[in-house]
Amino acid sequence: MEAPITLEDVLAENDTKLLSRLSEKELLRLYWKFRGLAKTLERDTAFWGSTNENLKVAYDTLDEKERELASAYNIIREDLEVAASVQTALLPRMFATMASELELSVYHKQLSEVGGDYFDYFRTATDRYAIGVFDISGHGVSSALVMAYLKAQFMTIMERLEDPAEIVEWVNKASFDFLREVRKYATVNFTTFAEDRLTYVCGGGYGLVLAKSGEEYVFEKKNHFLGLRQKPYVEKELPFVVGDLLVLYTDGMVEAQNAEGSDYSVARLNGLVRKNRELATDDIVRICVEDYRSFRVQDSDDITLIVMRKTS
Amino acid sequence: MNGGIVDPMDEMQVHGALMVGFAQACVNLNIVAGQDATRFIGGLQINDWYPLSQWEKLQELVIRSYGNVDPIMVKVGIAMMHGWYHFGPGKSVVKKGISFLHYQTGSGGFASVVRGPESVVGSFELEQFDKTRGIAVVHSTTPFNRKMECGVIVGGMTAPGDIDFVDVSNEADPDRLVVEFH
Repeated sequence: MEAPITLEDVLAENDTKLLSRLSEKELLRLYWKFRGLAKTLERDTAFWGSTNENLKVAYDTLDEKERELASAYNIIREDLEVAASVQTALLPRMFATMASELELSVYHKQLSEVGGDYFDYFRTATDRYAIGVFDISGHGVSSALVMAYLKAQFMTIMERLEDPAEIVEWVNKASFDFLREVRKYATVNFTTFAEDRLTYVCGGGYGLVLAKSGEEYVFEKKNHFLGLRQKPYVEKELPFVVGDLLVLYTDGMVEAQNAEGSDYSVARLNGLVRKNRELATDDIVRICVEDYRSFRVQDSDDITLIVMRKTS
Repeated sequence: MNGGIVDPMDEMQVHGALMVGFAQACVNLNIVAGQDATRFIGGLQINDWYPLSQWEKLQELVIRSYGNVDPIMVKVGIAMMHGWYHFGPGKSVVKKGISFLHYQTGSGGFASVVRGPESVVGSFELEQFDKTRGIAVVHSTTPFNRKMECGVIVGGMTAPGDIDFVDVSNEADPDRLVVEFH
């Protein structure tokens, strides 16, 4: 009879035929080892079962949150679409006096559904007209709400005051506390038009007059933004007669960058307008926008470009 | 006198090694609360003592994450003791699987990781031991989770590697942990 061997011997030889030589004690060890492994398996199965159940609950919760998020996103999306429609509806249309004296073209693009660039046409107390271009700090719904607020302020005062510096000062005073509270401010580029001249108040933004006679005038930024300080505004007067061209714009185009990180620049935009000054204002705007699009990598701000020519 | 009222449970203190061991086991097992536990354990010192409430917060992180937490707590208990044996002082304290049971005589093992009034601390004591039949009973009145304690016994007895089978159940009496070993 062959000598009894241990479990370890069987495993070392890796030969199952040797199992018949295990002693009763070794067979018992084998039995309990098997039971021990089965118990470990049972505990592990229970552990993974519980973990799996937990994962299922987590996935269900995740699905529910995803549905809630999608629903919230749709509500926001719908709200933004409404806000965009409202903002578009608030954009001005030329009225009779303006239309009869100006050839005017506008490129206006908000970075998102609603934006912070705002331009408007106003009728003055003496049935003349004024144009305002504003860039409200930030973007989005909050800036659009400030735009609506400023529009209401201008509409209120335009019927009572004529002088542009007084008008802007009144709006600044009336809006100051509100703008401070909502932590917003706005550039202001406000121009009134008489028979043969224009008067502007410039606190941010850009203005360029190309006179038919060849003279050029760049708007001087002598003033502060709306909502930043409470002090008087200074106005400037320039000749503006038939054939003269006026360009007003915000910083959206000129501060956009190309792949190398260079700005589109005031010099490039003004140069392009200068070069095409004899063309129709629609064509000038189109050429500027095409040139800008070929230059910039992407829009980084709201854009407003207004080109107008005095026609009568 | 600050007038503060001390929660009686906070009179019991838990050793930092136990808390770190628990959190480390949670991390090793990839339990959901593992990362939270890691953050929680961040400021703990392994040689300091902490109020029981801090231990309960740690334990709660695991318990609230699972619908059926019993198998999880068993596994955590096992992992804790394997860590204690293989990476801590376990080897010098327990030479054989059965020694771990004897270590619990008079709450010896338990007393090394908790301190405080007996009425609060409770005990974790070897009540019966029959080597021939492979049966033992540990009576626990500690504030710890019983399923974790079942795992602690399994882990403590299997870590040395000389016992082929260990099962611990407390179905008949939650405070009496019946150990079968071979």
